[in-house]
Amino acid sequence: MHDPSRRLPGERLFSVLMVAVSLFLFHTATKISGFSGLAEPGSFPMFATGMMVITSVIITLKTFRLPHSDAHGWKAVFPGFVIFTAILMGFYALALKPVGFLPTSFVFLTISTWVMSRGSLLHALAVSALSLVLVYVVFRIVFSVLMPEGVVPEREIIAYISSIFAAGE
Amino acid sequence: MDFQSFFMTFLDLRLMALVGAGTAAGIYIGAIPGLSVTMAVSILISFTFSWEMYDALALMIGIYMGGVYGGSRTAILLNIPGAPSAIATALDGYPLAKKGQAGEAIGLSTTMSALGGLIGIAVLGFAAPAVSEFAIRFQPRDYMLLAILGILLVGSLSGESLIKGVFAGALGLTIGCVGLDPLTAQERFTFGHIELWGGISFVAVMIGLFGVSEALMQLQHINTPAVKQKISRVIPSWKSVVKFLPLSIQSSSIGVIIGALPGTGGDIAALMAYDHAKRVTKDPEVPFGKGARAGLVAPETANNAAVGGAFIPMLTLGIPGDSVTAIIIGAMFIHGLNPGPMLMIERPEMFWFILGALVLATGFMLFFGLTGIRLFVKVVELPRAMLFPLILLLSIIGAFAVNNSLTDVYWMLGFGVLGYFMKLYGYQLGPVILGVILSRLIDDNWRRAIISEREDLGRLFHGIFTSPLSLVLFMAVVMIFFTSTPLWPMLKKRLRRKADPAPKA
Repeated sequence: MHDPSRRLPGERLFSVLMVAVSLFLFHTATKISGFSGLAEPGSFPMFATGMMVITSVIITLKTFRLPHSDAHGWKAVFPGFVIFTAILMGFYALALKPVGFLPTSFVFLTISTWVMSRGSLLHALAVSALSLVLVYVVFRIVFSVLMPEGVVPEREIIAYISSIFAAGE
Repeated sequence: MDFQSFFMTFLDLRLMALVGAGTAAGIYIGAIPGLSVTMAVSILISFTFSWEMYDALALMIGIYMGGVYGGSRTAILLNIPGAPSAIATALDGYPLAKKGQAGEAIGLSTTMSALGGLIGIAVLGFAAPAVSEFAIRFQPRDYMLLAILGILLVGSLSGESLIKGVFAGALGLTIGCVGLDPLTAQERFTFGHIELWGGISFVAVMIGLFGVSEALMQLQHINTPAVKQKISRVIPSWKSVVKFLPLSIQSSSIGVIIGALPGTGGDIAALMAYDHAKRVTKDPEVPFGKGARAGLVAPETANNAAVGGAFIPMLTLGIPGDSVTAIIIGAMFIHGLNPGPMLMIERPEMFWFILGALVLATGFMLFFGLTGIRLFVKVVELPRAMLFPLILLLSIIGAFAVNNSLTDVYWMLGFGVLGYFMKLYGYQLGPVILGVILSRLIDDNWRRAIISEREDLGRLFHGIFTSPLSLVLFMAVVMIFFTSTPLWPMLKKRLRRKADPAPKA
């Protein structure tokens, strides 16, 4: 829980960054239709980004005046696990289309479960396979969510399995 | 004839199953510490966009009702409220569990939650038609003020500072502006990219802020072991239900009213009801905070009654009461529905359908709440190392599934990381999603209001000051701003000094 009377590591940088983003967005908003009228397409964006500028400046000024918290260094606010997971998710998104949903998800689940549980790889592999089967049945088959096939000829496999069942009837 | 839609979920097995599945999912997800009802709704809703509207609504309503209730379980058993609306529940629920009365506490809170839920729905059924009739007379400026008031209230009541809440709300409004202007098709914040013409996907923002950022936040405590629980008998005695009936009716009224105010939801309703119970219960069997059952009943009835209340502004004005209703409004837009006063006139059957689904979800909540305890314990004990990779995977699938677009996944990741830092540094995320949803409404109504006054600010303010409704809304907005400036404590101090002059030395 964030303690409002103390400043966490990186809080100053974040608040300054928010001021910079707000100023940039305000500048962009002024270029939409300028200051030509109150009902122009740019008037509401200017109001919203203007509020962002004003509030972010106040927040920054307040943040700079706060005393340090006991937590020190980036690791206190952005631990290795979080960075690792965010990067892993980025890789997952990149690989999703070319490689396909099933292999990418399996690798993603295995690595993240293995690292987070600090257990054996075999256990992580088994848990991930089970989770993936569950997700696949619920979302791909019940919810009919279309996911990229990639290298796995999913449709052919499903057609083959249903043909076996059809032949058995 | 439209009233017949009330029974749709009861008569159609498929819809009934969806409400039931949603309620069960809501209870379990809401009960797992770290997983909120907002997270559940935001991730699961993304899978329902290709569904029939009735199916999607049935599932969402179930999740909402179940999720609000589910948070109480862990509040009682572990002293960890599963949702903000269960914070007050932990105050007396946990001491009861420590005394070995966890089963009774769960049974009582379940029964009272169901009662509160039903009272909230009854009020919704009677009040919504009247409110929507009144709302037809609203001027564009009233809508604009009401929407701003909603964002400000969420900002001021849900977090540590109003300024951070306003910043978050303004950020949401700006995100909502991205794309082509709906009136003139002029590009706004598109930076020359055609992909941004349609705006940033609301689903990507929602899952990023409430799914990914929440999961990343929880990863900080990944090594906390799951807690083992033991629960005995859960069916409450008839005597105790009757004993707390008057209190539960009072707390339900508080819940409905607070829930119906734009921007305030179950969490505030529960805290206010707890406070009310403390004042009206003359001789509690044990002091409040030490396991008084009245302290458990009041917040639990109020937070479920607030669900019905929150649907009133959502369905009649198109203004969400909290983050969850904001997400449901977004989903309704995607399904081609326009929540607002015209909904009751154009699609009255939708209103009755929602009402029926809410009643059914309450019934399921009571059933699932009083049964399936063993399964429940197993789910809550699931190791986090298994749970969080799965949630992150579902977040990615959810963001991708809506438009089959990887761009949405990148947006979701971006908002996930931004949301993580915003949460870390004490910014509220609720106002962001409210801002995204209300951006178009405020923009449209601002332009309509100012055009009808020939772009003259003086005339607009004259209109505000001569209409009682506009004046009340305007004064409320001004008051919220004023109370967050340094002038407010100074004024309070001066008034106090006047009322109580310091004794002369």
